[in-house]
Amino acid sequence: MANMKIKAKLKGDVVGAKVLAKHDMLTYDQAKAKGVEANFITHISAKVGDKVVYDVSTSQFWSKNPQFKFKFKGAKKGDELTITWTDLSGKSVTESKKIK
Amino acid sequence: MNRRKFLGLGVMAVAAMPATLSAISAIDFRATKPDTWTAHSVDDAIKALYGDIKPAEEGITVKLPKVASNGGAVPLTVKSDLKAKTVAVFQNMNPESAVAVFNVPEDGIIDYFLKIKLKGTDENGGNGIITVIVEGTDGKFYKGTQALQVAKGGCEG
Repeated sequence: MANMKIKAKLKGDVVGAKVLAKHDMLTYDQAKAKGVEANFITHISAKVGDKVVYDVSTSQFWSKNPQFKFKFKGAKKGDELTITWTDLSGKSVTESKKIK
Repeated sequence: MNRRKFLGLGVMAVAAMPATLSAISAIDFRATKPDTWTAHSVDDAIKALYGDIKPAEEGITVKLPKVASNGGAVPLTVKSDLKAKTVAVFQNMNPESAVAVFNVPEDGIIDYFLKIKLKGTDENGGNGIITVIVEGTDGKFYKGTQALQVAKGGCEG
């Protein structure tokens, strides 16, 4: 709960998903200024069942606490949307939400 | 990035693959195309990702504010009706140019929204340009660009 906020809503046959991930997204420059290691989300993927609906490799230039939206077909109300992100340190967080 | 860590990451990604490969088609472009993420110019990043391509400038909508008041979180929307394999987003303001590479699932809808950090201007003090490349399932490449100004940069900290 603490790491991600997910909203997923079915409209017609398209699901619209809205996600807010909590992450500092420290770029190399920012990390250098602070004297810490850079760390940012490097990969995000979303699945319904075993089907991938969103899959992206990311860079340090996503904003702090990155927000993103995407749409997909082929899911129905009550299905679980599972989102996983992995960051540069290797930490991985997975959370799911039922599609409304 | 320090080299050891980067290599370690690649190993992890490979190790994690067999478990997921059968069920899903996730692609980690950071592991498969590492040069894309360290390239400093948009052209170099595109070359590292796709090779020498001549994209057609059509079929992609890139939505941005004309003037972004806060470079720390610039809203960006990429839309296209093209049947695509991958979608890649680049910009010319930050130290490195790659922002994201989407792996589009079969029958995927290209309607992506994200927020990005941008430094004020490019190295020549000019306007920022976002470049989006779509790799179609037909093997062709498409390109969309959009310029913007950033009032306050977001990369300085």
